[in-house]
Amino acid sequence: MSKGIIRLAYRKVINADSQNAWEKYVSDATFQEYLIQSQNYNTDKKYFTFAELRQHVPNADKLHFLVSASVINYLKQLNGKVPDILNNLGKVFLPFKNYKFEIIDSDIRDKSRHRIAVEFISEPLTWIDTVGNLLLVAFTGTVPESNHGILTEMFTMQPFLSIHSLKQEEIYDTAI
Amino acid sequence: MERKSFISGGLAALGFAAIAPFANSCKKDSTTTATSTTTTTSSSSSDSCTITSSETAGPYPTLVPSSYVRSNIVDGQTGVALTIKLTFTNTNNSCAALSGALVDIWHCTALGYYSEYTDTPGGSYASVDYTASHFLRGRQTTDTNGLVTFTSIFPGWYSPRAPHIHVHVYNSAGTSLLITQIAFPTDVCNTVYTTVSPYSDRGVQDTANTVDMVFSDSLANELSTVTGSVSAGYVLTINIGVPA
Repeated sequence: MSKGIIRLAYRKVINADSQNAWEKYVSDATFQEYLIQSQNYNTDKKYFTFAELRQHVPNADKLHFLVSASVINYLKQLNGKVPDILNNLGKVFLPFKNYKFEIIDSDIRDKSRHRIAVEFISEPLTWIDTVGNLLLVAFTGTVPESNHGILTEMFTMQPFLSIHSLKQEEIYDTAI
Repeated sequence: MERKSFISGGLAALGFAAIAPFANSCKKDSTTTATSTTTTTSSSSSDSCTITSSETAGPYPTLVPSSYVRSNIVDGQTGVALTIKLTFTNTNNSCAALSGALVDIWHCTALGYYSEYTDTPGGSYASVDYTASHFLRGRQTTDTNGLVTFTSIFPGWYSPRAPHIHVHVYNSAGTSLLITQIAFPTDVCNTVYTTVSPYSDRGVQDTANTVDMVFSDSLANELSTVTGSVSAGYVLTINIGVPA
């Protein structure tokens, strides 16, 4: 009766001019860490932007991983819920454990050009149906309440949110 | 956390990052409602309104340090215990102790691997619960004696290098002062690599310090002193001069 087990991906882009306190902290912390780590790949001080490092310096791609250490403690402040993605009741609801950090670009001369992204991968959900533009899902492992059915959530697909993976179950009857 | 409303009153800097302090004079708004986030502000394709976050504002986020800042960098890695004690002096100041400097170290596992994003099927996602994603990497600030101490494991080796620890020293503002490496006495390595699992799966290093691409011409000032034993653990000490 479901379309399958899905995991959602949400890519949160953070610019240096964000007004949100958490995003500002993340932007500042990752920029400071980038200033430190990029020096490992710019010993002649020839380059200024991350784009230049990626183009000219072998292994500069490691900077995504190296700088990500500065974001981990901020991710823990999210208490395991993907930010920005609200259910139709207006609350964050989407659990995550996995993430990937990415430097989109940066410039050691200009903090305002620092731009990063965190991609959150949700825990598995059962995608039951789509109602209008709302997905109806249930968290896998939800224990059914006696005769009242399973607990579900509803949310809209939105920019930067995608279905990351799909595991289809045997379908007996897709109609609810 | 994507709450749009934060209680006014300013954020005390409850902690500092190990690196340059942030501009922490946060302008606080009163409890105003705003649309949810800075990133997903475009409306959905239908003509329905975008949901605005409407739940109790959590405690505002606190400044937290980079997860590098720790003395114990073992992160669950298997290996012989190694205490690393590095003392830094300023060669531009009559070799006075260099205090307040940031020191990053990193080295490989007992089997010769570094922590990094690995390409896994489904694409290299780290886990926020898995605190050990940056194992064997750490950052400390030198004390008034120019000393930093790390608790780690004895590194393994990988071809074509002699066993080593990477060190990068920065001033307190984060400007690089010195990038260097630390070499290990061969006899200690031979003991560890032949008698302790999992090092013994691979045996002794294939490159001696004397021919190593980094150490062959600078071993005198990059070779550490290592005391101790496999059962009690080892202590590594070295003095490093930095033009600060």
